[in-house]
Amino acid sequence: MSKTWAVARQMIAEGIRMKIALVFLVLLGMVVLGLPFSIAGDASLTGAVQSFLSYGLTTAAVLLGVLTIFMSRSLSDELVDRQIFLIVTKPVPRWQFVLGKWLGMTLLNAAFLSFAGVSIYGMAYYIKHTHPPIDDRYDARELVREVLVARHALQAKLPDFEKPADAEFQRNLEEGLYANVPDFDPAAERARLAKKSEARWRVVGPLERRVFEFENVLCDRSAKNEVQIRYKTEVSRYPPDEVFRARWRFGDPRKETAGYDFPIRHVVGRHHTISVPADAVAKDHTLTAQFFNHNPFVEEGEFGSIIEFRKADGVEVLFVVGTFGGNLFRLLVIMLCKLMFLAAIALLAATVFSFPVACLTSFTVYVLAGARSFLEEALDFASGDGATIFTSAKEFLAQSLALIFDVVGWLIPDFARFDAVETLVNGRNVSLVWVLQAISELVLIKTLVALALAMILFHRREVAEVSL
Amino acid sequence: MAERTLPVVQTAGVCKTFKDFWRRPRVEAVKDLTLEIRPGEVFGLLGPNGSGKTTTIKMLLGLLYPTRGRISLFGKAPTDVSVKARLGFLPEESYLYRFLVAQETLDYYGRLFRLPGRVRRERGSRLLDMVGLAHEAKRPVGEYSKGMARRIGLAQALINDPEFLILDEPTSGLDPIGARQIKDVIRELGRKGKTILLSSHVLSDVEDVCDRVTILYGGQQRAAGDIDVLLRKADVTQITAPLLSAETIEHLRELIVRLEKKDILGVSHPRVRLEDFFLRIVEEAQAANIRTSGARAGGVLPEFLQKPTEATTQEVVESLVAAGASRTVSIAPPPTDEKTDGAAKQEQEVLEQLLGGGRGRVEAIRPPGIASPAAHRVEPQRPGSPIHADAAVIDALLKSDKGRTSEDGESGA
Repeated sequence: MSKTWAVARQMIAEGIRMKIALVFLVLLGMVVLGLPFSIAGDASLTGAVQSFLSYGLTTAAVLLGVLTIFMSRSLSDELVDRQIFLIVTKPVPRWQFVLGKWLGMTLLNAAFLSFAGVSIYGMAYYIKHTHPPIDDRYDARELVREVLVARHALQAKLPDFEKPADAEFQRNLEEGLYANVPDFDPAAERARLAKKSEARWRVVGPLERRVFEFENVLCDRSAKNEVQIRYKTEVSRYPPDEVFRARWRFGDPRKETAGYDFPIRHVVGRHHTISVPADAVAKDHTLTAQFFNHNPFVEEGEFGSIIEFRKADGVEVLFVVGTFGGNLFRLLVIMLCKLMFLAAIALLAATVFSFPVACLTSFTVYVLAGARSFLEEALDFASGDGATIFTSAKEFLAQSLALIFDVVGWLIPDFARFDAVETLVNGRNVSLVWVLQAISELVLIKTLVALALAMILFHRREVAEVSL
Repeated sequence: MAERTLPVVQTAGVCKTFKDFWRRPRVEAVKDLTLEIRPGEVFGLLGPNGSGKTTTIKMLLGLLYPTRGRISLFGKAPTDVSVKARLGFLPEESYLYRFLVAQETLDYYGRLFRLPGRVRRERGSRLLDMVGLAHEAKRPVGEYSKGMARRIGLAQALINDPEFLILDEPTSGLDPIGARQIKDVIRELGRKGKTILLSSHVLSDVEDVCDRVTILYGGQQRAAGDIDVLLRKADVTQITAPLLSAETIEHLRELIVRLEKKDILGVSHPRVRLEDFFLRIVEEAQAANIRTSGARAGGVLPEFLQKPTEATTQEVVESLVAAGASRTVSIAPPPTDEKTDGAAKQEQEVLEQLLGGGRGRVEAIRPPGIASPAAHRVEPQRPGSPIHADAAVIDALLKSDKGRTSEDGESGA
C-alpha cells in the first residue's frame, strides 16, 4: 500500500499547489462569512440560523461536488501530458495507481469538509450570539431546542384500519351492495374501505377526541427533561382569525405518569411544537397524547370546525438524542460518502475519456444522482399505468429512457435519499443508521464497483494509444 | 561479474498497427520486428523520425500493446510489474510534475519503488549531483529549462539502480555539456554491466556509446549488428602519427606506391571535435566561477550506480533451465546493502538444492561462444570516454592524435 499512499500524497500535493484548495477555501469563505450578513430568513434568530445552515451546507456540497469532478483532471492531464509514462513504467500495479488517486481525492475532500464543518459550526453559534432577536428569550430558547440539537422523531402509532374495513366489507356484501357492480374487485374494495377508515380517523369532529399513542420514546424520563409534540392541522371551516382553539393532554394516569394539559390557540395550516415535561412518558416508553376538539377558552365560544391531521404532516413526538455538533459531523460523513462515490465516477470517466468528455460525463452522473427521484417519478408518469409500449412516440421514448435508466440506474445512487441538510436544519437526528446506510450503499457497493470498473479499464488501456 | 544468459529483451515478429476511431487499421508503425538485447550491452535503436523507434520502446515498456508478435523483458511480459522494478526509463520528453521540486520528484519516484526514506534521500541527492542540479533541488520542475528537465528525467530513471535502462532521445534539448555528461554516464553505466537501450536519431550519440545497433526505417529493421563491424571501412587504412614534414610524407607515399602499388588518398592535420573545444571553453568559465542559473558540472556516477549489475536467483534458475543439464551456474556475489545476509544465504541454499544437495560445483558460466562482457564488448577508444571531463582531460584530448581526420570524420580508434 506504500505505493498507493505515494500516489495519494502526490495527488494531495497537486491539489494544494495547483491552487485547487485555495480556490475552494476562498469560495467557501465567501459563502460562510458572507451569508450571515446577507440572509434575513424569517427575521427570527431561528430562521436566520436555519437559512445559514441550509445555504452554507448546500453551497459546500455543490462546491465540493464540482471540485471533485475537476480534481479528476489530474488523471486526464497525466494521460494527455504523458506523466503517466513515468508511472506505469514503475513497479506500480495500475489498480494501485487508480486507488491512490481516489484516496488522494477523498483525503482532500475530507480536509475540505472538515474546514467547511468547523466554519459552519462556528458561524452558526456566532449568529446565535450576535443576531438581533425579536424576542430574546423566546428566540434563543427555540433555536437551542429546535435547531442546534439532534432530536429523534417518532410518528404516532396508527390503529389497524384493515379490521373495520373488513367488517364494513362483510356488511356491504351481506346487504348485497356489490351485487350489480361490474368487474367487482374485492381486494380493491377492501383497500378503498381501509383508506376511508384511515381518513375518518384523521379528522376530529367538534367536541370529539383523538388519542395518539407513541412507542419507543427512549428519552430521559425526568421532569427536567422534555419531549416535543409537533403537528399541523387543517380545518373544514377557517375561523375569522385563522386560529383554532383546542386542548392537548399528555400522559396516562393508568400508567402512573404525570399528566399535562395544554389549552392552545394555534394558527391553522402551520407546524406547531409543544414542549412537554418528559415524565409524561410511561415506564414502558410510551407516550399518550389526546387531542380534544373543543374550545377550552370558554369566554370565546365554540366555533365547531372539523380538524384534520393530514397523513403527510402527521403528529410526531421529538426528543433529544444528541448534540448539534455530533449531528453536523454525521451529516458531513454522509456528504463525504457522496463525494467518495463522485470521485470514483470522475476517475472512471477519466480513465476512458479526455477531460472535457470525462467532465461532462461526471457532471451528468452528478445531476442524475441528485435528481434521480424526480426523474423516476417523471418517467413513471410519462409511461403511464399499464400502457402498451409503442402506443405513441412519447411513450416509446419514455419507456426507452426508463429502460436505460434502469440499466445505469443501479450504479447511480439516489443522492436525495442521503440529503441530510434539511434534517439537520430542522434539528432532527442524522442517525447513525443513516450514516451506515450511506457508507454501505454509496461507498462499499457503488464506489467500489465504480473503482473496480476504473481499474479494469485503466489496466486494459494502452496509455500511449494514438487515435488516428 | 556474474554472467547472465537470458536476453534482457526478446521480440519476435512484433507488429504494431494504429487504428482510427472506427478501429480501421491506418498506420503500420512497426512491422515484423525481431530483436534481442543481451545483458550488459549498450544497444542503439536508430532511425529517422517516424521509423518506429519510440513505438518499439513503448511496446517494450507496456505503454502500447503489440498488434501481433511476442515481447519479453527478462523472460516476462512487459506489463509484468516485477519486470518494471528492474527498469529505468527516460522518455523522449521529460514528463514531470510541474508543481514538484526536483528533490520531491525523485522522492516520489523512489517511493514507487518502495525505497526506504534514507535511501531515497541519499540517492536523490547523489543523482542531483550527478546531473549537475544539486543547487536547483528546491526549485519547481515547471520552472526548469528543457535541458534541466532532461537531466531530472535521467536522474529519475536511475533512482532504482536499474538493470536495464531505456533512453529515448536522451540528449535531445541538452546543451553540449549536458549531452556529453549524459553520454559519459551511459558509457560508465555500460561499463558497470547495465543493459542500455538507446534510441536516437543523433547518430554521433549512438556511435559514441553503443556496442550494437539496429536501424529502423518505415517500421522495419533494415540493418543490425556490432557497431564497429558495421562502420569499419575495410578497404582503407589510416595511420596517425605526430606532425610529419612534407619530405617524410613524400617518402611515405613513394614507399606505399612501391610496396602496395597504391597511392595515398589524402594527408591532413586532424581537428579536435567542436564538442571538445566547446567543453573546454565552458569548463574554463566554470573554473572562473562565473554565475549561471542553469545546470552545473556533474556527470560523476553516484556510488550506488557503480556496483556491477548482478544476476538474480530467478535468472540463475532460468539460465539453468536454458542450459539443460548443466550443473554450472552463475551466482550473485556476496549480498549487497539492499539484500540481507539471510536472503542471500537462502538463495545460495536454493541453488545448492537445485544442484543436487550441494554436490554440484557452483561457479560462473558463460554461454557458448560469448566471452565475459568486458571482453565481448568493444571498449570505446574514442574521445569522450572519460567519465567527467575536466580541463586537464580536455587539454589531453586536444593534444591527442586520436582525433578525427578532417577528410572522413571517422573515429581514430
